[in-house]
Amino acid sequence: MKRRRQLVGLGIAVCFVMSALRPATIPRVHRISGQAQGTTYAVTWYADGVSVTQIQIDSIFKSLDASLSIYQPGSLISRFNESEGGIEMDRHLAFVVEKSMQIYRETGGLSDITVYPLVRAWGFGVKTADAMPDSAAIRLLLRCVGSDKLKIAGGRLVKTVPCVQIDVNGIAQGYSVDVVAKFLEARGIENYMVEVGGEIRTKGRKQPGNEPMKIGIETPSAHAFDAPAIREVISIGNGAVTTSGSYRKYRESGGKRLSHIIDPQTGFPVQREIISATVVAPEAITADGFDNALLAAGVDGAFEILRTHPEMEAYFIYRKPDGTVGDTASAGFGKYIVLTAE
Amino acid sequence: MTPSPTRRDFIATGLAAMAGAGLSAAFSPVFGKAVKPADKIRLGIIGTGSRGSGLATLIREMPDYALVACCDIIPENLQKGLSLAAGNAKGYTDYRKLLDDNSIDAVVIATPLYLHYPMAVAALQAGKHIYLEKSMTYDIPQAIDLVKKVKASGLVFQIGYQYRYYGLYHRVKEIMKENWLGKITHFECQYNRNSNWRFPVKDPKMERAINWRMYREYCGGPLSELCAHEIDVVNYLTDSHPVKVVGLGGINYWKDGRDTYDNIRTVYDYPNGVKASVTSVLSNAYNGYSIRILGDKATVEILRDKAFIYPEITNNAKGVVDGVTGATIAVKTQGKGVEVKFGKAGEEQLEPTVFALKDFAECVRNKKEPISNVETGRDGSIAIHMGNAAADTEKVQHWKPEYSA
Repeated sequence: MKRRRQLVGLGIAVCFVMSALRPATIPRVHRISGQAQGTTYAVTWYADGVSVTQIQIDSIFKSLDASLSIYQPGSLISRFNESEGGIEMDRHLAFVVEKSMQIYRETGGLSDITVYPLVRAWGFGVKTADAMPDSAAIRLLLRCVGSDKLKIAGGRLVKTVPCVQIDVNGIAQGYSVDVVAKFLEARGIENYMVEVGGEIRTKGRKQPGNEPMKIGIETPSAHAFDAPAIREVISIGNGAVTTSGSYRKYRESGGKRLSHIIDPQTGFPVQREIISATVVAPEAITADGFDNALLAAGVDGAFEILRTHPEMEAYFIYRKPDGTVGDTASAGFGKYIVLTAE
Repeated sequence: MTPSPTRRDFIATGLAAMAGAGLSAAFSPVFGKAVKPADKIRLGIIGTGSRGSGLATLIREMPDYALVACCDIIPENLQKGLSLAAGNAKGYTDYRKLLDDNSIDAVVIATPLYLHYPMAVAALQAGKHIYLEKSMTYDIPQAIDLVKKVKASGLVFQIGYQYRYYGLYHRVKEIMKENWLGKITHFECQYNRNSNWRFPVKDPKMERAINWRMYREYCGGPLSELCAHEIDVVNYLTDSHPVKVVGLGGINYWKDGRDTYDNIRTVYDYPNGVKASVTSVLSNAYNGYSIRILGDKATVEILRDKAFIYPEITNNAKGVVDGVTGATIAVKTQGKGVEVKFGKAGEEQLEPTVFALKDFAECVRNKKEPISNVETGRDGSIAIHMGNAAADTEKVQHWKPEYSA
């Protein structure tokens, strides 16, 4: 969509040269930040003599949008959604769809990219809807939902029902983080942090000083405009961390908040005790791909899923039956925590 | 011969009415007739100038009311009012005659400010429920006295501060309560226009009657006629009233014989150090009506029929950490205004005054105290007079304990 492209164009280059006066052999911190995918991004790396430009980073986002953005009418994903039977995929879409199908199977269908018709009906698509859908409308839309209605045939993504539409927003940010990270690694950068809209991947340590990179886990705010506050500080070494939560994106109806995360099985917004799910995994696509499903699974269901995924650890902030807010984490998560806010 | 509507005449007729009713001796409460839920409220409007006939236009569409009488001393105004009223509605030039009509349940008073008090007192005496246009009274003693008289009357008395009935302000109040804005220390209120604020006068003798807003003899100028709404809104949003005020005013642009300010700036001090600047400039119309609420987390800007939130840009609590993981923050919520949503989806947007008039009908039927009542009206009027006094004297004006005793 045009607006998205403008946002990329608006990206503000911020390059800090923190220690310009030091000898050239000591690595310096470099930082590029801007706007992409409807949110902000920041790329920080510690190196000497390696140049990465904002234009390069923005062009990565452009190529990702051309493939995966539902906000862009001519994107590959939009063309698939408009098609009767399917399209030829590019490498971005092929990778993301394959990963999504895997997560669909491993979460018992809680994470499902074919949920898009429901997302639209609930007003979380490209346009906000005026009215809320009724259960009859939902029942009708459910006929178009289910990743079992998708087939991959060679390089083609095929729909078995014409009304199937997909939305990879729940995983694309994580994938974008991985793509940018791989771009940095290909240029020989070994110490970096890539962040897109709160999804993060880090490698190595801050230089000079060899300090670990610290990541704050946000306390869910009361409303969409609340400034973020840090609840825990973690350090994950080489890996990725993403967070899913409905505290920023929701609609209100009859005094109730409706989550933007839709349960593909019921067709209704997820009503669970988990307020935010933070997942650490080796790659951002994995963490981002699972975080919504873990939130939708509820605390017990989430731990069930995590049991079969030793490569992932997770931290949940949830509402207890008495209304107070608590947190819980998988057994291996503790090793990442470096500081707990009082 | 057409009576010359000078202030002296208005006051004289007003005082005559009061004296005739023996008001100065003892105020005897008269309870208004009960209006059955199914019945239309029989309504008279006193003052069918620009505001009064504007109200009549809205009332005409409302099933709650039958507009059965209009009163105005200016024939064109009276004609306008009657054209919007019921077919058999009666026209009066003397409001006391309208009040004598026992079939009338309630009156709207939309006359120049200095007439509010005598007319309201006479209407109470006549047992009418009253919807009195803002601001409530010409001076502080009248405001305090009217509270006593309304309380003794048992009648429904509503002041025309319609924003207290408007979903937009309800939502803003909710947002403040939910701490979206953080700690609030200031309200910036402006009610500006770029015009001389005059109405055309055919007969020079009518100048002061028509353009009463230009003259201190009849009103408090921009503070009582424009900013009154904003002062009331700050009172409403903070559930309080100012404790003191400073101000400066002048006639700096429209040197056309007026003696009310065309350029006034006041700063009100509310409890807990909250300040409210209240400004009216009659030579600039950029964002003419606006209230900005300044919190340490966000600003709300209220315009005529919409409001926007501007979150403060915070640097993701960085400094302590190198990055933050959290639910995605949409770009549009950073530094740019986000429109405040209010009301139900698909609900018809109505003129705020319609909500106020609906509630007045509800209060009359069920003998309820209005949200915009004689006490909130008193607080607004006292604040207005303090603001003008501050500008007139260039001295700090303090809220005296007896004001709200």
